[in-house]
Amino acid sequence: MAHPDFSEFPLVPKGNQFEDFEEGQVFEHHWGRTLTESDAILFSTLALRFTPLYFNREYARAHDHPDLVVDPLLALCTVVGLSVEDLSEAGGPFLGINRIEFHRPVHPGDTLNARSNVVSARTSEKRPQFGIVTWRTEGRNQDEELVLSYERTNLVQRRRNR
Amino acid sequence: MKRSVASYTAKTGYFEDFETGARMRHARRATISEGESHLLTKLVMNTADGHFNADKFPQGSPFPNQLVFGLVTGSMVIGLATQDTAEQALAETALDALRFLSPVVPGDTLTAYTEVLEVRDADREDAGFVRFKHWGVKQDQTVVFEGEREVLLKRRSHWVNR
Repeated sequence: MAHPDFSEFPLVPKGNQFEDFEEGQVFEHHWGRTLTESDAILFSTLALRFTPLYFNREYARAHDHPDLVVDPLLALCTVVGLSVEDLSEAGGPFLGINRIEFHRPVHPGDTLNARSNVVSARTSEKRPQFGIVTWRTEGRNQDEELVLSYERTNLVQRRRNR
Repeated sequence: MKRSVASYTAKTGYFEDFETGARMRHARRATISEGESHLLTKLVMNTADGHFNADKFPQGSPFPNQLVFGLVTGSMVIGLATQDTAEQALAETALDALRFLSPVVPGDTLTAYTEVLEVRDADREDAGFVRFKHWGVKQDQTVVFEGEREVLLKRRSHWVNR
């Protein structure tokens, strides 16, 4: 049997573009993510994060933690990751992140959720095909406690044909 | 007999060992492989396929395929600096001014450099804050990443015999 003509299959688009962002808009990002002990040790060892709190449970307990401490860089990467489809998947260079604060430790079994609001959205004179958008993002745990927060700025593609 | 806490880490790297203006070139360097770039990107739920699709852009496009997720680069640079800056950490409390200055692709090799920006007391007597600036440089000497980081470090006076 002949295969269908795949060029006729409509694309299921992903992500937002510059025109989809307006100041003050709030995004409750999808999915959430439970961080496990294996996530924590995989990340901290692959990234050479040689602080024993992140991969030695007994050491972490000796410092009054109930378990390993999840590498805060893993928590940060995960909160950013959960926000990507809403904020930046449609393309545009990652310019930077400011004022990242780690408010409380994350332990294996904690579930992180991400939420962002649009701080500013403006056009770029230098690059007319992009806008510059800044979001403030918060990562919270299953008890709604603030785990980390930051401000991130990207170039965001504008819609074509406008 | 249970091992002492201090026996797990070096005799250096305590709060008292850092001085404003001190500079470090970290001994170990790391090549980011395609496999770990894809793995870490997906592990943290970053959905942007530009990081794990080698066929995203046609040949001759100005955009590199399989661009390494900026926070994977940043985590690896901070990781290369971690033993020398946070082996004695009680917590990593903040990051700021993270900038992704030039693209990194699989096969690139990162070297990390650090300068101590500030040393200051904490509101607890057994630890103090050290603020670092980190740079990540790839094999052709292009600076690909920079960022500031604050770490709460144990004071030798309180922790070396525990």
